[in-house]
Amino acid sequence: MDKYLLQYKGSKQVMALIGLLTAVQSIAIVFQAIYLAKAITQLFQGADWSIALRSFVIFIIANSLRHMIQWAKERISYRFADMTARDYEQQLLKKIFDLGPQVVGKYGSGHLVTLGLEGVPKFKKYLELLIPRTLSMAIVPAVIVIYILTQDIMSGVTLILVMPILIVFLILIGMVSKKKIDEQMDTYRLLSRHFVDSLRGIVTLKYLGRSRAHEESIATVSNKYRIATNRSLRYAFLSSFSLDFFASLSVAVVAVELGLRLINGQMLLEPSLAILILAPEYFAPVRDLGNDFHATADGKDASEQIHNILEEETIVQAVVASPIAAWNKHSKLELRNIEVKIDEQTIFEGLNMQLQGFTKVGVIGHSGAGKSTLIDVLSGFTLPTGGSYALDGQEVPHLAIADWQSQIAYIPQHPTIFPDTVLGNIRFYEPDASLKEVQDAAERVGLDQLIATFPEGYDQRIGAGGRVLSGGEEQRIALARSLLQRRQILLFDEPTAHLDIETEHELKQMILPLLEDKLVVFATHRIHWMQEMDTIIVLDNGKVVETGSHEELLQQDGAYCRLLEARGKGHAV
Amino acid sequence: MNLYKKHILPYARKYNKTILSTILLGTLTILSAAMLTFTSGYLISRTSERPENILLVYIPIVLVRTFGISRAVLRYVERLLGHNAVLKIIADMRVQLYHVLEPQALFIRSRFQTGDLLGALADDIEHLQDVYIRTLFPTVIGLFLFSFSVIVLAVYDWKFAIVMALLLAIVTFVYPMLSLYMMKKNQLQSKKLHSQLYNTMTEGIFGLRDWIISGRKEQFLSAFQKESQASHEIDKKLAYWQQSRTMQLQLFSGLIVLVVGLWAGQQAATGSLMPTYIAAFALVALPILEGMIPVSFAIERLPAYEASLQRIDNIHEQNTEKEHVAMELGHVDEVLIELDNVSYRYDSEEENAVQHISLAIKPGEKVAVLGKSGAGKSTLIQLLLGTIEPTSGHVHVNNEQATLYGDSMYEIMSVLNQKPYLFATTVENNMRLGDASASPEDVQRVAEKVGLYDYLQSLPKGLKTQMEETGQRFSGGERQRIALARILLKQTPVVILDEPTVGLDPVTEHSLVNVLHESLQDKTVVWITHHLMGMEKMDRIIFMDAGEILMDGSHEELLATNERYRQLYALDQGL
Repeated sequence: MDKYLLQYKGSKQVMALIGLLTAVQSIAIVFQAIYLAKAITQLFQGADWSIALRSFVIFIIANSLRHMIQWAKERISYRFADMTARDYEQQLLKKIFDLGPQVVGKYGSGHLVTLGLEGVPKFKKYLELLIPRTLSMAIVPAVIVIYILTQDIMSGVTLILVMPILIVFLILIGMVSKKKIDEQMDTYRLLSRHFVDSLRGIVTLKYLGRSRAHEESIATVSNKYRIATNRSLRYAFLSSFSLDFFASLSVAVVAVELGLRLINGQMLLEPSLAILILAPEYFAPVRDLGNDFHATADGKDASEQIHNILEEETIVQAVVASPIAAWNKHSKLELRNIEVKIDEQTIFEGLNMQLQGFTKVGVIGHSGAGKSTLIDVLSGFTLPTGGSYALDGQEVPHLAIADWQSQIAYIPQHPTIFPDTVLGNIRFYEPDASLKEVQDAAERVGLDQLIATFPEGYDQRIGAGGRVLSGGEEQRIALARSLLQRRQILLFDEPTAHLDIETEHELKQMILPLLEDKLVVFATHRIHWMQEMDTIIVLDNGKVVETGSHEELLQQDGAYCRLLEARGKGHAV
Repeated sequence: MNLYKKHILPYARKYNKTILSTILLGTLTILSAAMLTFTSGYLISRTSERPENILLVYIPIVLVRTFGISRAVLRYVERLLGHNAVLKIIADMRVQLYHVLEPQALFIRSRFQTGDLLGALADDIEHLQDVYIRTLFPTVIGLFLFSFSVIVLAVYDWKFAIVMALLLAIVTFVYPMLSLYMMKKNQLQSKKLHSQLYNTMTEGIFGLRDWIISGRKEQFLSAFQKESQASHEIDKKLAYWQQSRTMQLQLFSGLIVLVVGLWAGQQAATGSLMPTYIAAFALVALPILEGMIPVSFAIERLPAYEASLQRIDNIHEQNTEKEHVAMELGHVDEVLIELDNVSYRYDSEEENAVQHISLAIKPGEKVAVLGKSGAGKSTLIQLLLGTIEPTSGHVHVNNEQATLYGDSMYEIMSVLNQKPYLFATTVENNMRLGDASASPEDVQRVAEKVGLYDYLQSLPKGLKTQMEETGQRFSGGERQRIALARILLKQTPVVILDEPTVGLDPVTEHSLVNVLHESLQDKTVVWITHHLMGMEKMDRIIFMDAGEILMDGSHEELLATNERYRQLYALDQGL
C-alpha cells in the first residue's frame, strides 16, 4: 500500500475501523439489493402495494445504512488525513527552518513554496482516499461475489473471471499510454510553456517590434498544443474507457445470461434481479480507484517529496565545553584546512584563515570563487566537510553555535524586505526596540528623508503589496536593522554591486563609520572597498591565493593585481 | 454574473456546436447507463414469464448488449470532445488576453504592482478550464436529464410527472442553490486564506536566514501554524459539507426509488403499465439520479472562479485600446533625436519625473546617461521611444514627433534592457527574433560579433541548443550576448542600452562592455548605466538627478572639471 502509512499516528485504528465499517457496508449493499429485488418481484406478481412497501422499507433502511456508513468512512478518513497533513506540514516547515538556507539552495525556494502550499493538500487528498479506497477494493467485491455465488454460480464465476482480466487490461493500457504520453512530453512541455513565455517576454517582443505579429504565433502554438493534448488524452482516457467498458459489458453479459436461464426455468426472478442490482456494485470500487488515479499519483508524489526533506540530516548545534564569550578585541577565530563539498562538488578546500579582534577582512574574487560560501561557513549555515576550528583557543566542530550566531549581523546583496511596515522591517531583529531607537537608526543610514515623504511615515507598508523600494533603499533598511542589533560581527555579502555608482558612493560613506570596532568580513567584487580593509583575502576557485593588506598585495604583483588590471583594462586605450 | 457574461459566455457561444455535442454525449452516456439497467430489468422480468420463443426477447437482449458497450464508448468520446472544445476556448482566451496586454506591455509593471502578474494570468486561463469541464457541462447535463425524465414520465402519467419534477428539483435546483448560498462565504474565505498562506510561506522561505539569525524562528512557525490551521479548518468545513450533502442526496435518492417503484406497481395494478416494466422503472431511477447529484458540486464552485475572472477583467478594463499608429518608413540610415525642454509627470505623482530636458543626439553619437534610481532615466527612454507623450516640450525623431511613430519606432530603435527575455526555444531562434529572414551567414556573423560563436560551436547542438535544456545553461553574460546578437540582426540605426551589465561580475562586465563598444561602433547609442566602466569611449556623458540634467560633457571634460565625477570614477576604478 504505502510504506509510510503505518508511521502515521492513528493509522492502524483508522484502518481497523474503516475495515469494519466497509464490511458492514458491503452487507448493507447486499441487503439493499435483496429487498429491492423482493419489492419489485412482489409488485410484479401483483401483490398489494402494502406488502411491497414492507420490502421497500427494508430496502430504504439498508440503503440509508449504506450511505450513512459511507459518510462515516469519509469523515473518519478526512479527519485522519487532515490531522496527518497538518502534522506533516508543521514538521516540514520546522525541518526547513532547522536545515536553514542550505535546503533552500538545494531544493529551490519556488519548489519549497509549491510543495508546502500545493503538495500538502495533494498529500492530504491522497491520505484521505488511500485507506477507504484500498479497503473497499479488498472487501466489497468479495462480499458481493460470495452472495452471488450462493444464488447463482454462473453469474458469480463470470464476475470473478472478469476482474483479473480487467485489472490486467488496466495495467497494460496504463503502460502503453504512459509510454505514448512520455514520448510526447518534451514537445508538450515546450508548447504549454509557450504562452507564459510569451507573456513574460512581451516587453522584449515589443522592443523587437514583433509583439503584434506574435499574436498569430500564440494562436498557432495553442492550436498545436491542443492537437498534441488531444493525442495524448486519447491514450490517457483509454484506461478509464477500458474500466467502463469491461464493467458495463459484464453487467450486460450477466443480465443476458440470467435472462436465458430464466427462460429455461433454471432461475427465479427475485434472485436474478438481486444479482442484476449487485453486478454494478461489484465493479464500483475498481471504478472509483480508476477515477481517483491521478489524485492518488500526485499525492503519492508529494508524499515522497515531503518525506525526502524530512529525512535530510539537520545541522546539529555544536556542543561546546565552555561558553562562547562575546567577541572583543582579544578574540580569535582560527579556520584550519577547511573543506566544503556540496553534492560532491568541491566549493573550497585547504582554507586557512585567522580572524582576530576588531579587524576588517575583505574577501575578493571572481564570481564562483567561493565568497558566499565562506560567509555561510562563518555564519554556521554551511557545515565544512573537513578541517577544524579554534574559537578563542577552544576547539569547535563547526560554527552552528547559538552563542556565536547571536553575535552576527549579516547584510546580503538583496536583503529581505518583509511585507510589513517600515518600523516592523527596521526592528525585525530587535522587535522590542522603541520608535526613538528606530528613528535614530534610520537617520544614521539616511532613510529619514525618504520616510518623511511617506504619507504614513514609519507605519508605511513596504515589500510585497506595499511600496516598492529601490535597491539602495533596501540596503539602507538592512543597515538600519544591523545598527539596532549592536552586534560585534558584521558579515557583508556583495552589498553594493547591483547599485548605481552614486548610490554606492553614498552608501559607502555611510557604511565606513559603522565598521569601526567590529569584526568585519566583507565579500565583494567591487575592488574599491578593499582599500578600507585591514586584511584582504583573494579567493580563486575555492582556494586562498593571496593574503595581505592592500599595499602589501600591490607590491606582490600577484592575483590581486590581476584583478585590478581586469578592472582597469576597460578604461585603458 | 457580469464577469461570466463578459469572459465566458462569448466563447461558449462561439463554440456552441462542440459544447452542445459534448453535453449531448454526456447526457447520452448517463442515459446509456440508465437504459442498461432499464432494459436488463425489463429483460429479466420478461424472461421470468418464460416466453415460448427466445426471439420474443431478442430485441431486449440486443439492447442490453448495445447499452453495455455504448456507455463506455460515449463517455470516452464525450471526454475527448469536451477537452477539445475547452482547449479551443483556451486558445482563444489566450489570444484575446495577449491582444489586450500587447498595447499596454510597457506599462504592466508600473500599472499593476504585483509580483508575477503575467504568470498569474497564464494560470488563470488554465484554471478557467474548470468553468466548462467541472461546472458548465455537469450542470447542463443534470438539467437535460431532469427535463428528459420529467417529459418521459409525463407521457405515462402527467400528475406523477409533476410530483417527480418537484422531487427531482430538490436535487437539481434546491441543493445546488443552497450549496452556493451557504458555502459562498466559506469558498471565498478559503481562497483568501490560501493566498494569505502563500504570502506567509513565501515570506518565510525567502527570509529564512533573517528569521533564523534574528532568533524569531519559533515566532514565524507559530504564526504560520495559526494561519495554516485556519485554512485547514475552513477546508474541513467545506469537505464536511460536501460529504453530508452527498449522503443526504443519496438517502433522498433511495426515497425516490421507493416512490417510483410504488408508482410503477400502482400503474401495473390498474393495467396502464405492463408489469414487466416495474423493475425497469424502479431500477432506472438510481443511475439517472447519479447524473443529477453532481450539479450541487458544480454550482458550488462558482465563487472559486471569481478571482481569476476578476484579474482578467482588470486587464481588459485597463486597455485603453489606442489606435495603433504605424508610420510608413523607408530605409532610415541616420537618425537625429531632439528633445526640446521636455517635462513629464506621471498621473499619480505630484512631481515631474523629468524636467526641462533639452538634448540633441546626432547620428552616430554615443551618449551615456547616469543617475540614481528614480532620477528619470527610464522615463527618458519611454520619451525617446515615443510610448509616452511629454507633458510639455517636444521629442522629435528626424523632425517628426516621436509619438507619431507608434510601433514603427522599433524599426529605428532597439532596446537591450537589464533582463532581456530569452524564449524557451533554440539560441538561433532567439537571435532570429531580430530578423526572421536573416540568412545562416548573418546569424553566424552576429554570433561571432558578440563573441559567442566558438562557444556555441563547442556545444553538441551548436546554435540549435535549447535555451533552458538543463536548467540555467547560459550565464548572465552569455544571455546578454545572445540578446545583443538579436539586436545586431535587427540592424536599427539607434540602440538603447538600459543597464545591460547589472548583476554581472567585473570581468564579465568588462568583456561585455568591450563587445558592446565594438559591435555598436556605427550606431547611435544611448546607454543608461549604473557603473562608469567604458565611459571614456562615449562621446558624451549625462548625469541626471531628480529628473534634471546635472552634468553634461565628455569623459575628459568631466574628469577635468567636475569633482564629483572624479570621485565616482576613482571609486569605480577601485583606486
